[in-house]
Amino acid sequence: MKKIINITLAVFILAGSLMLASCSSTPSEEEMMQLKNLKQQVADLEKQIAEKKSEKAALEKQIAEKNGRLQQCQSDQEAVKKGLGQ
Amino acid sequence: MKKVLLLSLVVFALFVTVAPLIAQDEMTKEQWQEQMKSLKEKQTALQADLTKLNGEIDGMKTQSTKLDADVLACEDALYALLGVTRADVEAFDKELTQMENRVAELQRMSDAELVNYKDELAKLDARIKEMAASKISLIPRYGDRVKALQDKITGLLNSIQKEKTYTVGTWGRDRDCLWNIAKKKDIYANAWMWPKIWQGNRDMIKDPDVIKPKWVLKIPDGKELSKEEKSAANRYYRQKVAAAPAEPKPVEEKKP
Repeated sequence: MKKIINITLAVFILAGSLMLASCSSTPSEEEMMQLKNLKQQVADLEKQIAEKKSEKAALEKQIAEKNGRLQQCQSDQEAVKKGLGQ
Repeated sequence: MKKVLLLSLVVFALFVTVAPLIAQDEMTKEQWQEQMKSLKEKQTALQADLTKLNGEIDGMKTQSTKLDADVLACEDALYALLGVTRADVEAFDKELTQMENRVAELQRMSDAELVNYKDELAKLDARIKEMAASKISLIPRYGDRVKALQDKITGLLNSIQKEKTYTVGTWGRDRDCLWNIAKKKDIYANAWMWPKIWQGNRDMIKDPDVIKPKWVLKIPDGKELSKEEKSAANRYYRQKVAAAPAEPKPVEEKKP
């Protein structure tokens, strides 16, 4: 009986040691802070990119309008020259 | 002893069950490393995207500024061709827009209301003709607008100048006399306006008491009798009174 108890205790000690060993490998508070900061930086970058994309779209629209205005003006010039008989 | 063994087994079982559950909430070092690596890669890619976008935006801003200058130069050249200034064109545009808005208001009026704006329409018509003759109208976008407005004004003028007529029916069926015709809702809705029909159709109506079926009478515009129409009506009433036999009791006035 004593033998059984000794074996059981040995098994407990071994299993407990293994579990403690596996659970002890967690990041430190400083490392967790690094991760948090990095996540924040990535989120900020994503926000900046979204803003830049919308700025780019607005500029594209402006340029298209100005191109249209320039073409219209050139075509008006032609029509006026024709009208004036030049 | 058996009790000690049993208790140890229960504690072990509990430990084995609960320990992994507690460990699930916490990040392992490996997981931290993986997340850090993945986030750093993402940060690098995003940084590159941002740099690229900034470059593109700078290029577009330069292009936009150049286009502004090109448009300005083109418009200046266009106005120089016409011998006008930018201020002239802006004033022309402003006046045209105001006229377009006013004509749109007039278009919403009925013909009867429009008659009261005959003079304004005539002025608009004269002004749009001047604008059509202006060199600025050679610019197609203004020429087109001027032409469209001119058509609208002509349409309005036509609608008020269009002569309204009435075909006389029979007395037996329609009870048509000048009094009753003037009283009709779609004519003047006022029987006392009958002299206007009489005076407007002097070529046909010699005696306002006599109108014949199938005559097509012109219905002149207006809300009130003119001085001449009033005089004609008074003459008619005086003649009626003079022609009436002198009787002691009053005679009912005959409707014209």
